[in-house]
Amino acid sequence: MTAAMRFAKSHEWARPEGDGLVTVGISAYAVEALTDLVFMQLPEVGRRVKAGDSLGEIESVKAVSDVYAPISGEVVAVNAGLPGALETLGRDPYGDGWMVRIRPDSPAELDTLLDEVAYAALLKSQPH
Amino acid sequence: MNLHVWWDPPTDGPTNMAADELLADEAQRRGDCCLRLYGWTPTTVSLGGFQRGADAEAEPAIAGVPVVRRPSGGGAIVHGSDLTYAAAVPRVHPWGGGPQAFYDAVHEALCAALAGFGVEASPWRPPATPPPAPGRDEGPFFCFDRRASGDVVVGAAASPDGRGHKVLGSAQRRLAATVLQHGSLLLARNQDVSGAASHPGLAELAPGGLAPTAVPALAERWLGLIAEGLGMRLVWEPGRFHERPGVAERATRFADARWTFRR
Repeated sequence: MTAAMRFAKSHEWARPEGDGLVTVGISAYAVEALTDLVFMQLPEVGRRVKAGDSLGEIESVKAVSDVYAPISGEVVAVNAGLPGALETLGRDPYGDGWMVRIRPDSPAELDTLLDEVAYAALLKSQPH
Repeated sequence: MNLHVWWDPPTDGPTNMAADELLADEAQRRGDCCLRLYGWTPTTVSLGGFQRGADAEAEPAIAGVPVVRRPSGGGAIVHGSDLTYAAAVPRVHPWGGGPQAFYDAVHEALCAALAGFGVEASPWRPPATPPPAPGRDEGPFFCFDRRASGDVVVGAAASPDGRGHKVLGSAQRRLAATVLQHGSLLLARNQDVSGAASHPGLAELAPGGLAPTAVPALAERWLGLIAEGLGMRLVWEPGRFHERPGVAERATRFADARWTFRR
């Protein structure tokens, strides 16, 4: 994780990159909570999303979960190899386990998300 | 916190799925646990959220049976001789964390309720082997041929492989603000299907059988134990949830083949 990384309450992370893009994935907490991942569906490149829209779906043995866009913008890249290598999510959720890259409509939207300290506080209040 | 319960009469698949989607909204609005019990008519197959529609079309045992896609995960279920539940809780509820707590709470309550009816049921637990790698094959097509930790099984001790007969399985849809859990309690073997789609239910597995007239008492005991487990107050709600405004409109999406066979 980096200091610039931000989190949504629905457990997606967003990291601004030097090229103006924002990389998005799901947090280690989310991966652990889902357990036994089976399938993943990611969006198509070029799709426009608004913050809170479903970006894709993940299925574990017992649950289907939506992955929500933490910010608005255009999906410019997807980690196409990830659905075939779901173990990557458990091993490196903030690195190789990235899901999409978004060109944000407004980089300032990142400021509406939680920083690492606030997200850690949120996790403490979560049911287990 | 309250457990609000509606018990709807049997209806078609798209209406049931639309009502359950609305139930999740209801749980979010109330900030409480909401649960709906219901049946299905006609006999209908529900696919898990990620299952392939082509697999349903290729399964001869369910040829001609209507198909609907659930928002929740898991395997295909033949509905018509089961009692289905949908339970929705806010994500901040103790059951809103990882899937297993919610799953176990509902399933262990059923095991306790069944004991009162002379049926020895238990939550199935996987053997102590290393966990499978993520992304493995999804397993059998039908839910009742699969085993996941916590599935309620009957006759496990007497079966050579310890798998027993599964009578209750559940799966979830985890939304932004709520968790919707679906489950199917198999009351009897469905006479509208055969072969791979046919599984024994409580009527066949319980010693002396389980009469249809005993189902309301079993369900009431089950729900009472679910509520007791978390100190919730059980509230039987009047009216039919599936007749609420908005259900029919939402049902058109679940009746659309583009949704059902989107995968």
